[in-house]
Amino acid sequence: MLYAFIGVLVAAVVGGIWSGLRHVRDRQLVRMARTTVQTAEVRAKNAEEQLRVAIEELRFLATDRIPAAVLALTHEHAPVPGLLHPQEANATLAKAMRDVLSATGAAAAGERDRVDAAARAAMRGATAKVQSLLYQTQSVLQDLQHELDDPRLLELDFRNELALRRIQATAVLCEAWPGLARSDSPLAEVVIGAQSRVAGYARIKMSNHLREQRLAVVARAAEPLAIAVAELLANATSYSHPDTAVPVTIQQSGGRGALIVVDDGGIGMDEETLSRARRLLAGPEVLLLTELGNPPQAGFAVVGRLVRQYGFSCHVESSPYGGVRAMLRVPAELLTVLDEEHTLSVLVPAPAETAAPARPAEDPADDEGTVVEATPLPSRRRRSPRTAAARPVAPVPPAAEAPVARTPEQAGALWGALQDGTRSGRSAAGSGTTAAGGTAAADKQGDNPS
Amino acid sequence: MTPGRPGTSGAAAAPEPGTPGGRGRRLVPAYLATGGRERPRGTADFDRLTVLVSTDQRPPEMDFGPEHRRLWTLLRPGALTVVECAAHLGLPVSATVFLAADLVGGGHLLARSPVPKAEAIDRTLIERLLVGLRALP
Repeated sequence: MLYAFIGVLVAAVVGGIWSGLRHVRDRQLVRMARTTVQTAEVRAKNAEEQLRVAIEELRFLATDRIPAAVLALTHEHAPVPGLLHPQEANATLAKAMRDVLSATGAAAAGERDRVDAAARAAMRGATAKVQSLLYQTQSVLQDLQHELDDPRLLELDFRNELALRRIQATAVLCEAWPGLARSDSPLAEVVIGAQSRVAGYARIKMSNHLREQRLAVVARAAEPLAIAVAELLANATSYSHPDTAVPVTIQQSGGRGALIVVDDGGIGMDEETLSRARRLLAGPEVLLLTELGNPPQAGFAVVGRLVRQYGFSCHVESSPYGGVRAMLRVPAELLTVLDEEHTLSVLVPAPAETAAPARPAEDPADDEGTVVEATPLPSRRRRSPRTAAARPVAPVPPAAEAPVARTPEQAGALWGALQDGTRSGRSAAGSGTTAAGGTAAADKQGDNPS
Repeated sequence: MTPGRPGTSGAAAAPEPGTPGGRGRRLVPAYLATGGRERPRGTADFDRLTVLVSTDQRPPEMDFGPEHRRLWTLLRPGALTVVECAAHLGLPVSATVFLAADLVGGGHLLARSPVPKAEAIDRTLIERLLVGLRALP
């Protein structure tokens, strides 16, 4: 009985302990479950928050960032916004969105290039046809000018030339060949030819400072150079007042190259426009029609493209005349000198050095080929008489009323006369003194007969 | 004096297809001589055969271009007609007239209209006269 009691007691105690233990474990389990739930809740909340942020970022990507990135392809200063919540965004998500942005940009750029290339090709085809028609018109007009004496033919020729310039410039922008084979052409004629292609050509005053009048542009660069100079002249005339002159100077540079300087007294360009012009003039590798603005400003772009293809160079800066000064340098490898038979057009300005020659027209010394320079400083020059055919300049009208400077021959004759005079004077004086000395000696001898 | 014709100076050596006469494209067009004007200066009517003579007044540099001075120099030795001057300068007659009119206006050239052809006598009249004379008894 006792054993039974003890057994029950033990069982009760064990049961109590057991149940107590179980209770403790249950409580632990509950606690753990509670923390798990809390953690899960927090995580879910975080995830929700992140999803919200991600959706916001995606929406922002679609509405703002991608359009901005595409715009930045054409306008490099256009800002592309970053993430809306850079602190909260998931790093992987941010990277993925950057990838989306760059892929969109690349796709847009590729498509833009393709469309632009197609547009250029279409323009190229059209310009080639129009250009050839205008050349034919020009030839007919030129023949007519020699048959009929109507001045309206000249006017018509000019209009035709203006149209040709536009078409040629467009063709060059569209990567077409300038479209004309020339032979080696005198630089002065190339510049005058470029002048004739510009609407306000009467305002362009060219001064010719070439030492060698037959300095010529090699065949392959002649027409491209004419186009480039015409564009610079067109800029200068259209951006300056119609009453102002546009001075153009051609000169040989220190090396063996030549320099064409175009000045205008116009409104000039601010620093930003200048730097844009310089970028275009440097000849960028790819030039899209869509980059030329609206309305398209093609002048510098045309020059830049030719610069890149033919190897001359162009620089723009503020001009002392108030507007813009454009300097086009033609390197020595694009220059040559024509043979003596080649005569320049009568419309080419006489070289500045001989524009005011010191001799009257009928002076026979005119045939000796010595070029009188207007520079006040003395300089060495060729003195040996050349043949008349070897004159460097096509007949230049000498100015009779020009202030008479001395030719080397006259100066030599004057100096010779002076020396002759001195010599004769000295010899006369010398004979006098020797005579006087002789008498003195005779006197001495007379004084001292011993 | 053999000035180059603008049409041939600087012309391409190879004939360009599409140009009559196979000339290359000219580089310096003749209309530059007009200085952008539509009509020659003054009211004088220049003919191809108008005779030009230079006076002793040299055209000043600032008012006249190189082509004016060349024309004036060309006429120093004696008189030439407009068409001859045009040939020497290598310009069309129409462009030469602009230069000549400028120089005449400035008193540097004198222009004389060509002597008009004598009134041609009507040949039928003479024939009729002849017939009448022969018919005389």
